[in-house]
Amino acid sequence: MKEHEDKYMTEHNDREMRDALKQSIPPVNTELRRDLWPDVLRELDARQVGVPWYDWVLVGLSAMMFLAFPRLVLVFAYHL
Amino acid sequence: MDLLQRFTHGEIDAFETLVRQFQGDIYAWIVRIVRDRGTAEDLTVETLWRVYRARHRFCPDGNFGAWARRIATNLAIDHLRRSRPEQSFPTEPAGAPQPDPLVQRETRERIQLAFRRLPAKLQVAATLALVEELPYDEIASALGTSVGAVKLRVFRAVRILRKRLSQAGITPE
Repeated sequence: MKEHEDKYMTEHNDREMRDALKQSIPPVNTELRRDLWPDVLRELDARQVGVPWYDWVLVGLSAMMFLAFPRLVLVFAYHL
Repeated sequence: MDLLQRFTHGEIDAFETLVRQFQGDIYAWIVRIVRDRGTAEDLTVETLWRVYRARHRFCPDGNFGAWARRIATNLAIDHLRRSRPEQSFPTEPAGAPQPDPLVQRETRERIQLAFRRLPAKLQVAATLALVEELPYDEIASALGTSVGAVKLRVFRAVRILRKRLSQAGITPE
């Protein structure tokens, strides 16, 4: 009986609070009014993570150096 | 190869098709939480960008809509944490039903403020369950939790609201 009363009171309190919130918080229109794809595409372009040109130059120089002096690989490996 | 597989492989055409198919649902979900059109549009774009970034983690057999909605929910919760609770909810310019005249403006503003000061997770659960009256299982899925946990959050939100409103001398009728 006590459980039933508690449950009734909880539901009653929830209903009161729901009514108060629904009267206080304005409803929102959930319809999207414009296509967001152009904005998404812009974000994708803006946040594209590319490798800077100087990193490619560094990789190229390192590769050439290792080809010219293969023993340097061992020196580098030792210091890593 | 189907659309979702092409998406996970990074094909932009497949992603565009998914965006056009799901952007309305994602926006509708976010605007219900943040209650502001401009913010909801920004968060929808951010959600879609994160969806694309995380495409490798998506299983093509899974539910794309539910996955995107969960990302959107997390972003909306982060937004609520950052936003200032002093601001009241913006009102819709047209089409909104007039509130009960018995509930005075000041009372409504106090209820709004108390509501916006709830912890973000409680606020989201209470908004979706009490204001939007969405099914608990739908809310639980979007929040990545159980129905019981959502009910507990709503219960805690109501208890906190009741206490704060009572301190302000307001009793919900």
